[in-house]
Amino acid sequence: MNLQNLSIKRKLTLITMLTSSAALVLSSFSFLIYDLISFRHLLIQDLMTQAEIIGYNSAGAMEFKDVPAATATLSALTAKEDIVTATLYGRDTRAFASYSRLNKPIGALSPQLHGNGYRFDGGYLEVFHDVTLNGEHLGTLFLQSDMRQWSLRAKRYAGILCIFVLISGLLALFVSSKLQRVISRPILHLEDTMRMVSANKNYEVRAVKSYGDEIGRLIDGFNTMLAEIQQRDTALRGANDELKTRTRELEREILHRKQTQEELLKAKHAAEEASKAKSTFLANMSHELRTPLNAIIGYSEMLEEETQESGKSENVQDLRKIQTAGKHLLSLINDVLDLSKIEAGKMGLHLETFEVPPLIDEMVTTLQPAAAKNGNVIKVHVSKSVGAMRADVTKVRQILFNLLSNACKFTDHGTISVDVDPRSMAGQDWLRFSVSDTGIGISPKQKGKLFHEFAQADASIARKYGGTGLGLAITHRFVQLMRGRIAVESEPGKGAIFTVELPAHVVGEAPETPRPGGVNDTATSFPEPKKHQDTILVIDDDATVRDLMSRFLAKLNFRVVTAASGEEGLRLARQVDPIVITLDVVMPDCDGWTVLRKLKADPFVAEIPVIMVTIVDNEAMGLDLGASNYLIKPVDRDRLAVLIEKHRGARPSSPTDGGTVSQISKNQKTQRDSKLRSSGEVNHAKDLVGRR
Amino acid sequence: MPKILLVEDNEMNRDMLSRRLQRKGYSVITAPDGEQGHLLACAECPDLILMDISLPVMNGWEVTRLLKTNDSTRHIPIIALTAHALVTDRQKAFEAGCDDYDTKPIEFNRLNEKIDNLLVAKKVS
Repeated sequence: MNLQNLSIKRKLTLITMLTSSAALVLSSFSFLIYDLISFRHLLIQDLMTQAEIIGYNSAGAMEFKDVPAATATLSALTAKEDIVTATLYGRDTRAFASYSRLNKPIGALSPQLHGNGYRFDGGYLEVFHDVTLNGEHLGTLFLQSDMRQWSLRAKRYAGILCIFVLISGLLALFVSSKLQRVISRPILHLEDTMRMVSANKNYEVRAVKSYGDEIGRLIDGFNTMLAEIQQRDTALRGANDELKTRTRELEREILHRKQTQEELLKAKHAAEEASKAKSTFLANMSHELRTPLNAIIGYSEMLEEETQESGKSENVQDLRKIQTAGKHLLSLINDVLDLSKIEAGKMGLHLETFEVPPLIDEMVTTLQPAAAKNGNVIKVHVSKSVGAMRADVTKVRQILFNLLSNACKFTDHGTISVDVDPRSMAGQDWLRFSVSDTGIGISPKQKGKLFHEFAQADASIARKYGGTGLGLAITHRFVQLMRGRIAVESEPGKGAIFTVELPAHVVGEAPETPRPGGVNDTATSFPEPKKHQDTILVIDDDATVRDLMSRFLAKLNFRVVTAASGEEGLRLARQVDPIVITLDVVMPDCDGWTVLRKLKADPFVAEIPVIMVTIVDNEAMGLDLGASNYLIKPVDRDRLAVLIEKHRGARPSSPTDGGTVSQISKNQKTQRDSKLRSSGEVNHAKDLVGRR
Repeated sequence: MPKILLVEDNEMNRDMLSRRLQRKGYSVITAPDGEQGHLLACAECPDLILMDISLPVMNGWEVTRLLKTNDSTRHIPIIALTAHALVTDRQKAFEAGCDDYDTKPIEFNRLNEKIDNLLVAKKVS
């Protein structure tokens, strides 16, 4: 096993043991070396002393060549166990006398041995000493020792050392294995705790701190960390639970919305089906009605001719009345048929290129009798640059016919002006046809209903002026079909200006299939036909109010556009063409009154009903400035819903681009004013809705 | 006296229109459906045909197509009469080979003008 991967317990034990053992061995070994060196030194000293004593004792024997005496002296060395050989050499370096424990043969004295000294040779300690008598050199004593005592001592010491190291090592092991716990136990405990936390994800567990040392601090840090994690875990779990609850709520909401959506879709399909059935029924009925009418008109015409020929002139008038009534009925049926065709999406465009000026001449000629009937003069101004256009000529003719005959019908001894100008908008060529009269005019309220089908308000006026109440509605639809736009500018008693703008090159395909009922269609279909839910514009500087209103209105299936300021509101009103605007009064830069005034002064948006929603209790001022309704905050939602529904139901096809409406000159106005009847204007205006 | 064949299924319209045409000095023969109209056109070879479009048995388009593919009747001018003033009808009328086209309700003077024009044109050719 790799040392590094050993447990901390073992590591600590091992380190302690190794350290202490190493120290012990080293010190013991040093001591041993020292002792052995000293002991050897002692041995040398001892041997040299003996050599000196023996040399002194043998000097006489040598002087007298007494070998036995010398040998006896040497033999005294028997007591010394470690001396192996002792030899006395004469001056001739030959052995004089010798002693040998092992009876070793004695050689001649080595020449390099002279004087006093010692040497180690072959594991033996050899000592040589000069034997002198009265200063005269007699020979040399040679002693050889096997250092038995030294090696014995070294062996004994080594044995003792080994035992000692072993015992102390075991002791160190024992002590360190006890002491290491001081360090390892807290660490192992910390490890256990950590393992428990990560295994059980239980952040409530805490490690127990035993000492105030680094490990203690480590445990403290660990506990703090755990506490933090626990806290976060709790917070996270809380947030998670909340998220789950919200998600469930959201899911329920989505489900609910889906259900509502499906129901709405079903209702929409049902409504569309019903509307289609209605259109088909209308088309069939109109056809069925026309066949007998055909016969009535035809026969009465024939009878008239015959009667005239036979001279019964008193019956001719009656027969003419039958014809007139029949023709009126027929035109009504034709209009209904046209409208139902448009609504059923069956009204196609027959596009051809034709010259505009002759068409205008033709229309003016056709309507000259109608103008003359009320003493009106028709003035025509066709710009010289107006040439050919590509459109459905029948529909253009009918549009102009309707506008002109309306102008003739509602103007008495006045002037009807027809202006045709080319215009260039968004890189496209357009033609602007404007028909203005000096007639009875239309009130703002009536303006809204102007392009609305079946909006004939007063039967008596219909009788007086004639018409079916569908003329302008059809005109509007025809303009839409050709992706043009129509607008009206008028004031009661001051005449009216109808402006139609058509692309100089109409593109085929109707801009949109008119919706069932057709009531909510916008008149404007430029530049792109809008197909959307009814939009409500909420102008309020308070974000909460905007949010609440948006949610509430969205529930009622409206598209909601909000504006945080008056300026933005004014801009959006033009842009999104809302069916209703709700307007706050107290706003920072541009207050609600100013916004309302500006809205009502802008022909683009003047007819959009404005519901004031405010804390300011000044209903009179609001209504004066042209607001449709006045609600005090906090808003009664049911009332708001009712009001919006009411406006939606009564929604006019909104007039188009106010910018195209020409201004009536002051001159014209005065002229017209003088010709207007002083009373009954408003009522008449009201009924203009139905005029054709 | 120019002879006009009027093919029209509605009895009142047939009666009224034929009488008015007679008063204008035309000789009028009538047929109540497409098949009889076709037979009469072939047999009588009229100077002009007024053809209602929604006819029983065989509709006006089919009769017109048959007559215009037949060498002996191809020269007879046909005015289509339709109740629907739809663009498609107008295109169909000319595609089928009609010489002119008018919508119901009939405006007698306008129709008379168209008849006159076609008869004059026929004479010239």
